[in-house]
Amino acid sequence: MNCKVLVADDDAFITNVVARKLQNAGLEVIVAVDGQEAYERAAAEPPDFLITDLQMPGMSGLELCARLTVELPNPLPTILLTAKGFEIDRSKIGSLPILHVMTKPFSPRELLANVQEALGIGAAR
Amino acid sequence: MVAAAGGWTVWRLWAVIELRRVAAVILLFLGVGVGLHLLMDPLRGAGQPSTAKAMTLGAGLALSVLGLIGGFLIARLPKERIDGVTDHLEDMVRRGAVGMVVSEADADSLGRLGHAINRYLAFVKDQVDQSHMTAKERQIQLKVLEAEKRHVEAVIHAISDGVLVMDAFGDLVLTNAAAERIFGFTFDVSLRKPVEEVIRDEPFLELLREMHETGLVVPHRTVEWVQGSGENAQVWRVILNTVVEGRKRDRVSGVVAVLHDVTKEKEIARMKSDFVSNVSHELKAPLASIKAYVEMLVDGEAADEAEAKEFLGVIAGETDRLGRLIENILNLSRLESGLIPANKTDLAVTEILRDVGDVMTPQAAKKSIRIEADLAPVFFHVHADRDLLYQAVLNVVSNAVKYTPEGGKVSISTYLENGSVVVHVADTGCGIPPEDIDRVFEKFYRSRRSARAVGGTGLGLPLVKHVVETIHGGRVTLESRAGKGSVFRIFLPAVR
Repeated sequence: MNCKVLVADDDAFITNVVARKLQNAGLEVIVAVDGQEAYERAAAEPPDFLITDLQMPGMSGLELCARLTVELPNPLPTILLTAKGFEIDRSKIGSLPILHVMTKPFSPRELLANVQEALGIGAAR
Repeated sequence: MVAAAGGWTVWRLWAVIELRRVAAVILLFLGVGVGLHLLMDPLRGAGQPSTAKAMTLGAGLALSVLGLIGGFLIARLPKERIDGVTDHLEDMVRRGAVGMVVSEADADSLGRLGHAINRYLAFVKDQVDQSHMTAKERQIQLKVLEAEKRHVEAVIHAISDGVLVMDAFGDLVLTNAAAERIFGFTFDVSLRKPVEEVIRDEPFLELLREMHETGLVVPHRTVEWVQGSGENAQVWRVILNTVVEGRKRDRVSGVVAVLHDVTKEKEIARMKSDFVSNVSHELKAPLASIKAYVEMLVDGEAADEAEAKEFLGVIAGETDRLGRLIENILNLSRLESGLIPANKTDLAVTEILRDVGDVMTPQAAKKSIRIEADLAPVFFHVHADRDLLYQAVLNVVSNAVKYTPEGGKVSISTYLENGSVVVHVADTGCGIPPEDIDRVFEKFYRSRRSARAVGGTGLGLPLVKHVVETIHGGRVTLESRAGKGSVFRIFLPAVR
């Protein structure tokens, strides 16, 4: 099973490290540098999983998730990365398929474990 | 006592007058009697010679007449004196005067009576004078109290905080100009009216009512009251106190409300909170990279040595970024709080531009960016702190190099314009979108394109603005067209 994960973050170092971690675990990764690009890529080719930063220029991670929930036929399981964990309005998350909110600095190891658990796949390495 | 003494004097006056009259009547009868006796005597003694009879008759007549005149005069004497005193008294009443009614020369009993009346009148005069003085003192005290009342009212009126006093009946009894402005009423029209007619804000009225009802249990309260909504909302700290009266202090006779505007304090608190939140966010970004790449190395995720080196390079770069960020935050914070004193001297702007150009040229060369310095041969002088101004110009030029693509150009020049020395920095970079132009000087604000650039702290331009405008009294302007480049101008007052 070749699972496709869309990673959206305006910080290139973060998308790079997450992509490497997931690719090393055998997952296919698509990288987007902001919410708009992520939305366009997901709409063109729906991924199996979304990892997105909350605070991005233009469209935020929450907006991206909300729009994709409306647009895509199936809910897209999502992990939200944020440096402002305490500022998230939990009521907005309620209806969205957000499985975890991970606060930066985060552990790529833990992130991978969360993705694998959500996709129901074991450790590839 | 005075009334009793007065009654006694009047009785004595009456007695004296009556005694005189009795004496006059007795004298009259005596004179008439003796006269008649002598008159009748010649008629009785027929043997007496006619001359003697005539003499006796004449003497009798004369005595009778004398008796009549004497009695009349004696009876008349006190009446004249009393009439005189009466006229004098009436004259004094007419003139509203208080004083002597009998002269000191009158030494008889009527004179003594007069002296008694004089003393009595002097006593009354003293009393009247004292009453006049007391009344005058009271008038002065009243005027002083009225002046003090007006002064206190003026002070209350001038207080910048709103003051409202409501009595036990819910009427407005005291207020001031600030309260008028807050609630939009007119002081003179609204006084002594029920507060409900003056103030229309229901939550505030509820506060007053609640205070009035629970004032005995909770005599002081401080609450926050928000007036209006949205961006125009004003936040007031309302200090409520009850006026408690009665012997057992068991009666709330009024409520005093003092309103202090805390909108700005709230705004500052919010900005501080935002600042801390932004700082934390900015610090977390490089920290997140450092942690992630270290963990990747620890977990052996690097495919080869080259990738391991790449990870270490990221860690080193992000550590530097973190250090720079902390340094910038501290510098800006110290500058804003005035902890770094500006050490101003007259200096040549050209020299600073030359130094900045020298420092930036190697960095620009890495991206094949040309730095063109058109420095005037005349040295324009400004009164400035060298280090701070150097840092400000460096930030602008470094920004220009950072956001200019490879092969571009950054121009630096200086000239004089309307009494200001202008530092002009233009680049051929990606430009700043119009919606970001006003915001690039805000702390931590980074436009969409700069957010992608590595190394931006969002504090470089706020520092430029603070150094130029707050510390040196100049100004910074920015013109930019997306895709065409940006022009920063720093205006500083020229030294003449």
